[in-house]
Amino acid sequence: MGTCIWDLEIPNCPKNLDREVSHVQQAATEIEKTLSDCQEVKAKDITSLLGGMVEKLQVLKRKAEESISEELAASNVCKRRLEHLKEHNTLTPNGNLSQGALNQWRRKRLDRMVVEYFLRNGYYNAAISLADKSDIKELTNIDIFLTSREVEKSLANRETTKCLLWCHDNKSKLRKLKSNMEFNLRIQEFVELIRSDRRIDAIRHARKHFPSFEEEHLSTIQQVMALLAFPVTTVIAPYKALFEETRWDTLIEQFRQENYRLFQLASQSVFTVALQAGLSALKTPYPFKYRVFFSGLSHITHCYSDNCENMNPSCPVCQPYLNQLAEPLAFAHCSQSRLYCHISGLPMNENNQPMMLPNGYIYGEHALEQMARENDGQIICPKTKDIFPFKKLEKVFVM
Amino acid sequence: MEACLAVEKEVDRVFSKFGGINDHARRVLSDLISQIQSLKDEYQNAGEDHVLTGIQVDILKQNMTKIKETVSKLATDHRDLHSTVSKVGKAIDRNFVSDFAATSRDSVFTSPEKVNLINKVICQHYYRQGMHDVAEELAKESDISTEPQEKEPFTELNHILDHLKNKDLEPALAWATAHRDSLEAQNSSLEFMLHRLRFIELLRQGATHQTDAICYARTHFRKFVHRHEKDIQTLMGMLLYVPNGINSSPYSCLLDSEMWIEIYELFIRDACQLLGVCVNSPLTTSINAGCTAIPALLNIKQVMMQRQVSGIWNGKDELPIEIDLGTENRYHSMFACPILRQQSTQFNPPMRLICGHVISRDALNKLCNGNKLKCPYCPMEQSPSEARLIYF
Repeated sequence: MGTCIWDLEIPNCPKNLDREVSHVQQAATEIEKTLSDCQEVKAKDITSLLGGMVEKLQVLKRKAEESISEELAASNVCKRRLEHLKEHNTLTPNGNLSQGALNQWRRKRLDRMVVEYFLRNGYYNAAISLADKSDIKELTNIDIFLTSREVEKSLANRETTKCLLWCHDNKSKLRKLKSNMEFNLRIQEFVELIRSDRRIDAIRHARKHFPSFEEEHLSTIQQVMALLAFPVTTVIAPYKALFEETRWDTLIEQFRQENYRLFQLASQSVFTVALQAGLSALKTPYPFKYRVFFSGLSHITHCYSDNCENMNPSCPVCQPYLNQLAEPLAFAHCSQSRLYCHISGLPMNENNQPMMLPNGYIYGEHALEQMARENDGQIICPKTKDIFPFKKLEKVFVM
Repeated sequence: MEACLAVEKEVDRVFSKFGGINDHARRVLSDLISQIQSLKDEYQNAGEDHVLTGIQVDILKQNMTKIKETVSKLATDHRDLHSTVSKVGKAIDRNFVSDFAATSRDSVFTSPEKVNLINKVICQHYYRQGMHDVAEELAKESDISTEPQEKEPFTELNHILDHLKNKDLEPALAWATAHRDSLEAQNSSLEFMLHRLRFIELLRQGATHQTDAICYARTHFRKFVHRHEKDIQTLMGMLLYVPNGINSSPYSCLLDSEMWIEIYELFIRDACQLLGVCVNSPLTTSINAGCTAIPALLNIKQVMMQRQVSGIWNGKDELPIEIDLGTENRYHSMFACPILRQQSTQFNPPMRLICGHVISRDALNKLCNGNKLKCPYCPMEQSPSEARLIYF
């Protein structure tokens, strides 16, 4: 069941009910006290107290409903995902593993991974469209990402409010993760105030917000404060960097990463990790030909050489795009030779003896025999186009 | 699989314990609210200067105790629920690997041009799957230009598959009939399987369609008698049980929805073979291979960490272990030197000795004794210069 690698996460649950409960209890104690303290309890005093009680109970009721249904919903999501994972091993009525169901499960798995990849890269519409189409909305974390989309959008518009609100909502968790998201946002606000030449406001802003970060980030604060002395057009390195517009993109990226950590999502998408591993596992070094780059460096080419002589149209790594992607990756490990006839695609072994043409190229016996039959005993090497008589072939033994 | 079951146990515990907690909490709280509200109304109506009687004070006191009890009970329940739910989270952490990224180098696919390539691959994949809107949406959002290539022959196949998914056999049957000869040449039983399913579906509708089914069998099964005699006998046997319901007969497995999955897969396989295209898109194959590889790679990584030799595998030149992807996913010959147990490279290519045995050039150099070489597999002595470079 190695294939269940998948971020099944339990959504963050709820603020607990302790605060609301203690409010109600306080109110109850207060009423009790009033009752026992006074000899004569006036109805109108008690009614206002009771009114407060009703209000507090209502708040508690609302909160309890929200929180409980959130927890149950989280468990439900979890349950459905488990069911999906279990479909991996569907049995046929005869008790065999169902290959068809497995194939369908694999297709779904791919779609699920792609949706997640889309979301991480901000292709929200494509993600939604795919999730709808293959009916896997419940198996993805689309909701988490759609919330974060709003924040990202606002950051892209140079607004900090939404992101600050997010920081506030997840304050305790972020503190646990030692996040400095809020601090970075505050710095950005400060920078923007200076950029618009409202330096007095900037100082006010700094006074208000920076002290709470003093302990951890004192040196950064000092550096940022020095910004007050520089013009926006400064060329001095650390201060120029603070004025860069690209800082906003960094903020967006930071927000994404923090959001993943908050929901315990991995920093990379399963899709790219799987793609990397898959391409590696499929990639074979093509041992002889090598590409010569313009720099003059030679380089191992994988799977196919420049003249495409070893290309196999079914091999994923032979596809141009995937081939480029596979280039920096490790290739598959192989300790036992596995030979396939380039003409027929069939394995070469004792039943299909590998044969060497005089030019050193190896093909399977069966394919060569057939070619000789159709060509008056002549063999045309499919790679070099040289022509040889069949009897010139020699056996090759590969252990 | 155990992982799933372990987590599922925890999830089920949540539901069995707390299935009704929401309703319960709502009911109890609403009761309390309405009770207090009515007390309040009662006192309000009693007039401005009404002083509570002893009984009323007692009632109030009782109510307050009740509120306190209920509310603290609710708080405990809720805390319980929360801890049970978080146990699910812990079970997930224990049973599933969260750090799956350990096997990859994260910088490899992050540069814009790589992202661009990945997007193009995905785009092609969805064009091929017939999900044009997904592909187009992606192209728009990621700002890549793709030619909607490879549309044919997949447009037709996808159309048929869509219908099959909705349990409509018509287009598939038409296709199979049109390609009957080629299908037969590749020994495919697709057409028969489609007719068979049609027949079963007729029988499923009960005794009223019995005659239709027999007629259908007469018209269509005749030509398959040679290859599928046994199957046809089984199908006819089903007729015996039509009045009492096939569900409770030995033939019940023929009514399983598995049949539809099977025909779907069979259609993809045989049609792709006929058209000479791959069943899976390159992306699908790669990802499936990746999902096979990741667990093995994670294992080896962990072992390496434990033995503190993690430096051995830098993820750059070769995977540390062999990944078995099954025979259908092997596309190229690989030569591993039987002496050195190393894969051949351009610097260490395979050499054929004069006796026909193949070893790598490095092994050949090591086995050389002056100007003489003895083949490690047979008694033949030869000069190393006679060995030939070969190409697989």
